[in-house]
Amino acid sequence: MSASSEVLLEIAWRFASLSLLAVGGINALLPEIHRVVVDVEGWMTSAEFADLFALAQLAPGPNAMVISLLGWKVAGIAGAFVATLAACGPSSLLCYYAVRGMARMPSERMKAVLQRALAPVAIGLIFASGYTLARAADHSAGALLLTVLGAAAVAFTRVNPVWVLAAAAAAGIAGVA
Amino acid sequence: MPGPPAAPVTQASLFRAFLTIGLLGFGGVMPWARRVLVDERQWLTDREFAELLGICQVLPGPNVVNLSVILGARWQGPLGALLALTGILFVPVIAVLLLATFYASVAHAPQARNAIAGASAAAAGLILGTAIRLVRGARPPPRGLALGVAVFVAVGVLQAPLLWVLAVAVPLGIALEWRAAR
Repeated sequence: MSASSEVLLEIAWRFASLSLLAVGGINALLPEIHRVVVDVEGWMTSAEFADLFALAQLAPGPNAMVISLLGWKVAGIAGAFVATLAACGPSSLLCYYAVRGMARMPSERMKAVLQRALAPVAIGLIFASGYTLARAADHSAGALLLTVLGAAAVAFTRVNPVWVLAAAAAAGIAGVA
Repeated sequence: MPGPPAAPVTQASLFRAFLTIGLLGFGGVMPWARRVLVDERQWLTDREFAELLGICQVLPGPNVVNLSVILGARWQGPLGALLALTGILFVPVIAVLLLATFYASVAHAPQARNAIAGASAAAAGLILGTAIRLVRGARPPPRGLALGVAVFVAVGVLQAPLLWVLAVAVPLGIALEWRAAR
């Protein structure tokens, strides 16, 4: 994991442009991130990508932390910080000015139309993320079962996701996955 | 834009609040953001929080990062936005790197590999479960469901580049909702 400045520049440009596409949040963007870092750049395998995503879920903080880990995987500590700044900087600036502009938006109706139009797109993207990750992670019937149980736990109960992940890790050690 | 919070939000309390949110947010930050901002600090009502989330979803970038920028800017201007952003990112970046370094040192052990295989299978499930919850909460009309399914198939199954999918789906969604709203 040596960090040449060319690699760091490539990380900065890739993650900055990805984050400006992240309508619906980082989770909605996972298939696209996967496509870029695995298929286009060849920085890691699909399984390594799924592992890093799981590690990011086990740590505290926003889901966007997976970006820091992807940067770390490619170019160490410097890669992690470059990826994090690239993923959060430009979109934060855009957000700052967009919200200032939104206060002057013409009509309430236009705002409502925009929110109702974007919600299904965001939800469809989040399903696509779960599907992409499941395809990368589930190589056995046991793993598939853990995915289904994890989905059910979040969809139908109020259990803290950390316990779901911890239980799944224990099941993995026991040989289920 | 809703009015000012009940208690004045200082720069220090702003930073501390978002530091807490970042520190506690295991398995997703949003529930913790609501708890700290609405229940504990009472800086926002539930309704204001939900409306802000909608805006954060519409804008590109990580949702909770956008939330910190919007609220920091609202209460303490550009410096506030920077303080809230730093607060929510700083500890998590350090924590996740420590965890990754630790994982790299034990990754050769079969137990570690098996544990992470189990956790990553369940993590995929957490995302799918969140999407199911959103569908049940938002109750989109048939036209919204159809659009959502089309986006899922294009991006998830066919692996189409996101930019092209958005370039088609977003104008289509706006046109459908605009017609329905008339």
